Amino acid sequence: MSSGATETVAALDFTPTAVTLVEVLSVLANQDELATIDEVRQDEALRREALATYEALPAPGARPHRGWKYDYANLSFDELRWTSGSVMMATMPKRPVHRLDAEDSGADEIDRPALATENAGGLFFFGATYVDAPSNVDPRVTVLPLTATTVRANEGILNGGHTHSILHEIVDWRADKFAALATAFQNCGAFVYVPDGVQIDAPVQLVFANSEAQDDAVFPHVVVVLGKNARATVIERHVGDGDPFVCGIVEAHAGEGAQLDYVVVQQAGEAARVIFSRGARAERDAQVRWHLAELGGALVRTVLGVRLEAPGSRAEASALFFNTGLQHVDLTSGVDHLVGPTTSDTVVRSAATDRGQGRYIGNIVIRPKAHGSDASLRDDALLLSKHAHIDSVPALEIAANDVKAFHGATVGSLDEDALFYAGSRGIARNAALRMITLGFFEPVIARFPGEALRDEVRTALDRKLDDATEIDV
Amino acid sequence: MPTRGLIARDLRVAVENNEILKGIDLTVEPGRVHALMGPNGSGKSTLAFTLAGHPGYQVLGGSATLDGEDLLALPPDKRAKAGLFLSFQYPAAIPGVSVANFLRTARMSVRPEDLNPAKFRKLVFDKLDTLDMDPAFLGRYVNDGFSGGEKKRLEMLQLAILAPKYAVLDETDSGLDIDALQSVGNSVNALRESDEGKDIGFLVITHYPRILKHVPADVVHILIDGRIVKTGGPELADEIERDGYDGVREEVAFKAAMDEFVVAKAPIV
Repeated sequence: MSSGATETVAALDFTPTAVTLVEVLSVLANQDELATIDEVRQDEALRREALATYEALPAPGARPHRGWKYDYANLSFDELRWTSGSVMMATMPKRPVHRLDAEDSGADEIDRPALATENAGGLFFFGATYVDAPSNVDPRVTVLPLTATTVRANEGILNGGHTHSILHEIVDWRADKFAALATAFQNCGAFVYVPDGVQIDAPVQLVFANSEAQDDAVFPHVVVVLGKNARATVIERHVGDGDPFVCGIVEAHAGEGAQLDYVVVQQAGEAARVIFSRGARAERDAQVRWHLAELGGALVRTVLGVRLEAPGSRAEASALFFNTGLQHVDLTSGVDHLVGPTTSDTVVRSAATDRGQGRYIGNIVIRPKAHGSDASLRDDALLLSKHAHIDSVPALEIAANDVKAFHGATVGSLDEDALFYAGSRGIARNAALRMITLGFFEPVIARFPGEALRDEVRTALDRKLDDATEIDV
Repeated sequence: MPTRGLIARDLRVAVENNEILKGIDLTVEPGRVHALMGPNGSGKSTLAFTLAGHPGYQVLGGSATLDGEDLLALPPDKRAKAGLFLSFQYPAAIPGVSVANFLRTARMSVRPEDLNPAKFRKLVFDKLDTLDMDPAFLGRYVNDGFSGGEKKRLEMLQLAILAPKYAVLDETDSGLDIDALQSVGNSVNALRESDEGKDIGFLVITHYPRILKHVPADVVHILIDGRIVKTGGPELADEIERDGYDGVREEVAFKAAMDEFVVAKAPIV
């Protein structure tokens, strides 16, 4: 890692103020020429409330020098470069509404083929700016930038068309400091809607790219709604060599019998700060599967949640991170079994080397009405250097009878017996170490949908092993 | 021309400062099968691990060479590249690494020059067949959740695919049922009859003589308390089968006592 990561461990200046918000809002205000005065006022009121909430909530789990680094993250709001917002709040684009000049946007600097997942169509953002990108999304599926106009046009789906409202309701920003921040400053986002009965094979892809020339205040809000028996894969990517501050929300709703695979491949620049709160709700017999690979960034925080709200619903969470250099990743997963019978399976693999720091908190809650539920939580951490550190905190809270719940957690170093065994087969120590480390992640990688995606994650991990400076104490 | 063979000379080895091997002299010639038999705790596995280069074994003195090359100066992977193979009594699991990937990586490490993917594939499938193994094995993670028999078969599969110059089989028969033992025997014999395998020298380490029914030994050594106390032909294994190690132990003790007696008498004579 370069010294870029070092710079994030600096003085605290993490205080967006109402003044900042007004300035930002003035940028975002003429977001949508078609927005009504009422909509603009409502929007502003929500943002002010969210900012007040952000200020009021404590930083979660403040434990400086161990699990939490936001206390001394060098995050100066005044220095963030804000996007104009004129693109994202434009009229509803059947066709992409705005085409940035490739030279101006730096879009050429991003390796486009590397972003491609076979046949994936979707949205492409540069900083917070929506960029025209060739897209071949299935015509039955709606994929739009999340704007006031989009919200108005899809009011029925987003606010009560199904059993519950979705927008701002699945992720509880009133209880989550960074979700509140993302709500206050939201400046880009996506809406993906897969109607009842529609099952698509090609994934929908949401790409958040950034280069050094790009605006670096990125506050995305992604909403994914799957109707009854719908099926889709959504891939959210973070790429580029800029050092943005990304703080976002993902809300996913899986209707009755629906199946959602939501994949995150986070390969942001090495000084980037990427903070997300992602939540999902599963209705009767629905399945929500999170697949998360946190690979880039200097400071990363992810909250992954699933609410199992109706019998027969199922949650799977598969997550990995591999912290090299001074990377810090903080991951919290939570599955809430509100009723029974519902099932969940969480598998997390994390590794750290150099001075990488990580923390994983895994929560399973089985509520009183959730009898007959089955929950499994498995989390393993691998430490490859003596300065690396990973905390692991699994927590099960069970209030129902007649449930099955499993959790297991390990933190360990490389298996010397395995290294010797591989050595005895002619495999040199470095190669064996690499093989064993990559193998360690395999139980999570194997659950990612599609061989192309799995290979992509393997290759990315392999590259991180190349970059690591201190392995094998 | 250096002396060919897997050769130990006065090899003395300690584990955690506790001397286990107290001077081993042994020469395994190319194409020959030597059996090293001994009771539990006699130091059999210590010899195997020391030859393979396990970092937990501390060489106090003596030498170990492979066709003249100083094994003790090499890390484990270089010993394998020099032509040594150890079949583990308890092979380690490598979760997340498929057998196919592992075999290919190992073969490429030991013999980087040869075999295109198609030929490699054919080699693997031929050997699987000899060992009576399901090709589904290749997709499983190395030794992860394997039964004792499956682990030993995988060891034999690797032996056949790596075709080393010398192979040390450490208690390969332990934990095997009759069928598994038979297919292990078939695999070793098929290898010994092949062009690639006819010159492999074997050191078969075992507590019980039964594996020697399937892989007949040319020479049998008895290891007791860190020393090779007796060397003989195949009939020595039969003797162990009949009388156990106590017979040899008594014989050795008697001989030692006699030697002492003779030494004590010497000045008078």
